[in-house]
Amino acid sequence: MLPYPLLLLYRNFKRFKSTFFINLLGLSTGLACALLIYLWSSDERSFDRYHALDGRLYQVLENRRTAAGIETQTGTNPLLAEVLRREMPELEFVATTTPVPFFPGFTLAAGGQHLNAVPKYADPAFFQLFSYPLLVGTPATVLRDKNGIVLSQALATKLFHSPQNSLGKAVEWQMADRKQTCLVAGVFAEVPRNSSEQFDCVLPFAAFKDQMQMGEVIKWDDDGPFTTYLALKQGADPAQFQAKLAGLLKTKSAQAQAQGRTLFVRPFAAGYLHGTYENGVATGGRIVYVRLFALITALILVIASINFMNLFTAKASRRVKEVGIRKALGASRAALVGQYLTESVVMALLALVVAVGLVQLVLPQFSALTGKPLALRWEWPLVAASLALALGTGLLAGSYPAFYLSGFQPAAVLKGKLPTRAGDVWTRQGLVVLQFTLSVLFIVAVVVVNAQLAFVQRQPLGYDKAHVLRFDTGGKAARQQAAFLAEVKKLPGVGQASSVLGGFLGGHHVEEMSWRGKRLPVATMLINYDLVETMGLHLVAGRSFAPQFRADSAAILVNQTLVAGLGMPDPVGQQLDGRRIVGVVRDFHFESLHEKIKPLLLQLDPSINTVLVKLQPGAEQATLARLRQLYAAYNPGFPLDYSFLDADYQAQYVAERRVAVLARYFAGLAILISALGLLGLAAFTAERRRKEIGIRKALGASELGIVWLLTGSLTWLVVGAIALALPLSYLLLERWLEGFAYRVAWQWWYFAAAGLGALLVAWLTVSVQAWRAARRDPVLSLRAE
Amino acid sequence: MIKTENLEKVYRTEEVQTKALNHVSLTVEQGEFVAIMGPSGCGKSTLLNLLGLLDEPDGGSLQLLGTETSRYSERQRAELRKRSLGFVFQSFNLIDELTVFENVELPLRYLGVGAAERRQRVEQVLEKMQLLHRRNHFPLQLSGGQQQRVAVARAVVNAPPLLLADEPTGNLDSASGHDVLGLLTELNEAGTTVLMVTHSEHDARYARRVIRLLDGQVVLEHSRSQF
Repeated sequence: MLPYPLLLLYRNFKRFKSTFFINLLGLSTGLACALLIYLWSSDERSFDRYHALDGRLYQVLENRRTAAGIETQTGTNPLLAEVLRREMPELEFVATTTPVPFFPGFTLAAGGQHLNAVPKYADPAFFQLFSYPLLVGTPATVLRDKNGIVLSQALATKLFHSPQNSLGKAVEWQMADRKQTCLVAGVFAEVPRNSSEQFDCVLPFAAFKDQMQMGEVIKWDDDGPFTTYLALKQGADPAQFQAKLAGLLKTKSAQAQAQGRTLFVRPFAAGYLHGTYENGVATGGRIVYVRLFALITALILVIASINFMNLFTAKASRRVKEVGIRKALGASRAALVGQYLTESVVMALLALVVAVGLVQLVLPQFSALTGKPLALRWEWPLVAASLALALGTGLLAGSYPAFYLSGFQPAAVLKGKLPTRAGDVWTRQGLVVLQFTLSVLFIVAVVVVNAQLAFVQRQPLGYDKAHVLRFDTGGKAARQQAAFLAEVKKLPGVGQASSVLGGFLGGHHVEEMSWRGKRLPVATMLINYDLVETMGLHLVAGRSFAPQFRADSAAILVNQTLVAGLGMPDPVGQQLDGRRIVGVVRDFHFESLHEKIKPLLLQLDPSINTVLVKLQPGAEQATLARLRQLYAAYNPGFPLDYSFLDADYQAQYVAERRVAVLARYFAGLAILISALGLLGLAAFTAERRRKEIGIRKALGASELGIVWLLTGSLTWLVVGAIALALPLSYLLLERWLEGFAYRVAWQWWYFAAAGLGALLVAWLTVSVQAWRAARRDPVLSLRAE
Repeated sequence: MIKTENLEKVYRTEEVQTKALNHVSLTVEQGEFVAIMGPSGCGKSTLLNLLGLLDEPDGGSLQLLGTETSRYSERQRAELRKRSLGFVFQSFNLIDELTVFENVELPLRYLGVGAAERRQRVEQVLEKMQLLHRRNHFPLQLSGGQQQRVAVARAVVNAPPLLLADEPTGNLDSASGHDVLGLLTELNEAGTTVLMVTHSEHDARYARRVIRLLDGQVVLEHSRSQF
């Protein structure tokens, strides 16, 4: 026997079966969306939160005044940590590290095995600051010995079969043309997946300083690519520390003061979600997407709740008599509100059960889409979140019907007639308009996001990214870079080959430069001979670098934006910061299309070891095999890890692509749930107007006329929704598009497609019901009355 | 038990204003069985709704069980209804989703009576109404007469001092109607004050006193002997 309230619900659900299923479907898909987004966003929020010192852990950032406003960077001077340690007693630990990724083509070798690895150099306090549990070694000492290395568990196991077995063993690391043997001083457990930095081994920063002979050359005037982390002592005031830190640089360097460089700290864990700065102010980062998806989920739940409200109040005509009876028998309004809210909450809880099933079903695809291995782990945060979601949705969905139904005077409804109140009709219609407004908004978003992504694909980039292979060389191939590249070029199937620092796309160092009194921030790209040819860059003046010109080591190429920015009338032959311009390349997008093309200079450095190879199309696999063979001949045992530049290019738009796919799903769901609601509403309208339809038919109305009678008003509601949604979608998506420096132009058909799509769905939904009502025998309808 | 003075009720639509009750003053003493009569639209049901606190008057005073109720809040009216009033309607007004037993026990639930006592009292009243064997049936599975007996059972299960009946035999055949009127008489003899709205002269004869309404006004009051 069910408890009394559940029994009532069960009987009510049985009585209104189609409404029950429409509500269940709508609420459960809404809740499933919410659960998925919850899983995703709580994973996003968990990044970098697992450190024991979280809350006291900070990263030092630097602001710098430039012509374009304040620029914020994570790179700091390597001298900073030592000074902080000495001068700031409120600090418990400080460490300088190299950022990740920083070293291309780093390999480790031991016992004849060669493995690619991502290294990180760090000060001794690193393992005290961050909670990477050591399986071998102690946090305070493991990085003390300059000759030591700390390996990840996986790396230690691969090289030495077990972490314990690896202690004190010799490992040779190799990077470009450098190599050195060091001894394993410790082993750390794998870096958790929800760490913003992934690395395989940690080496002492002191060793890095020695290798780079930094001791003599680094001054306070320099900034650095190095990251500085610190932990405040328990009870220390972050604001006070911040105030001290802000004034530090100007006491060390007059140049830093002149450049308006100041330091500040950001909670370490905040960096992952709040990583974007504009003009010195934190403006978001990944958190934008967390918020966006949370908002979209909330909207989907609102749409589903509206179905519930609308269907509940629409069928109220059948339930008002019950309200009257209960009130006559002494039920207070609160008791009735409680009853109806219980009904909606139980409905939402039922929907939650279905939603969990749906989530299980789509979780593999959703994990693939988001690139996260998400799982439903029923620990209390998930349980609490699920229950809160269901409860919140239930209360939201039930609130309007509960107050609506319980508000009638018993005498007015005891006869079973629903008093028509203009306000109720308006509310119901308003809710339908709201639903369709949101649906149309989603559809426009799908169209625009996809149009922008297509635009990104089509946009001429100023270089040819097709069939370009990218890999980092190490060992002999790096030491004999020129010979290696010459042999690569000779391979059948290879069009051209060159090398570049980093990855060609993005991540270039920006520095202010001046020419005849004009200052400009300029990005620098270090390139090898033949890069212009390999990438299909277009020279508009002068020439590219060539080995026969000895002086090219001090020569540069510049792009058109730099020429225009500095107002150079005849750039070739001009000197820029002591370097002679030998050629001008046509502007090309060396960053994502989010960024405007910046002033760029290309500087020759034949030693850089990120190789780009242009393959001739058609025989890529055969050419790749030859390339592997050649690389193996240079570096026996070293793996060749490569990627295609095209994929690197696409990777710049991962977030947008995710938005595009999710927007598609969300829009589909929104329109589906709205249409379901409309279906239910149309059924009730047809039911309510049954007598009217009978009379009209008896008087000679055609079936088509009846269909229009029933669909007309709902059609106008959807038209109203479209009218509202279009300007709204324009405003919202215009903001999204503003994030791109190069963006698609608005087309009238984006709106037309969304509007017509919504109208069509609505019309098909409603007319099925209307047609059924129109075909009913009028005699039956009239007799029923 | 009931005392009204200049009770008024006005129905308003956008264009028309209809005075359903016009300065109705009447008194019903404890233990009386009073019939309110009059043609359709004379305001009988409106009066009963006001006396049953199902609707609010637009003017005048309404004393029930010695207290003035015309300014009562919704909560106070609900409270008084569940403690002191029982209703029997022409269209039975049973809740279709509830069984006979559940319909009858509803007032006791609102009174917060415990499950064991509810069960006992409901079974007692159902037995008296000869409905115990139908306890698990739903209203639509019963005849009209049986449904109205369920409604009477529900109206009296909490032993209210005042029972209001709105055309209780209107939807019944004459035999069932007779049964129901017999039940009301029995209840009245046991001490319950009964106020019944009817347009049937035959039914009105069961009452000891008759109040006649026309166009929202009391036009005549007389005792059973004056039929």
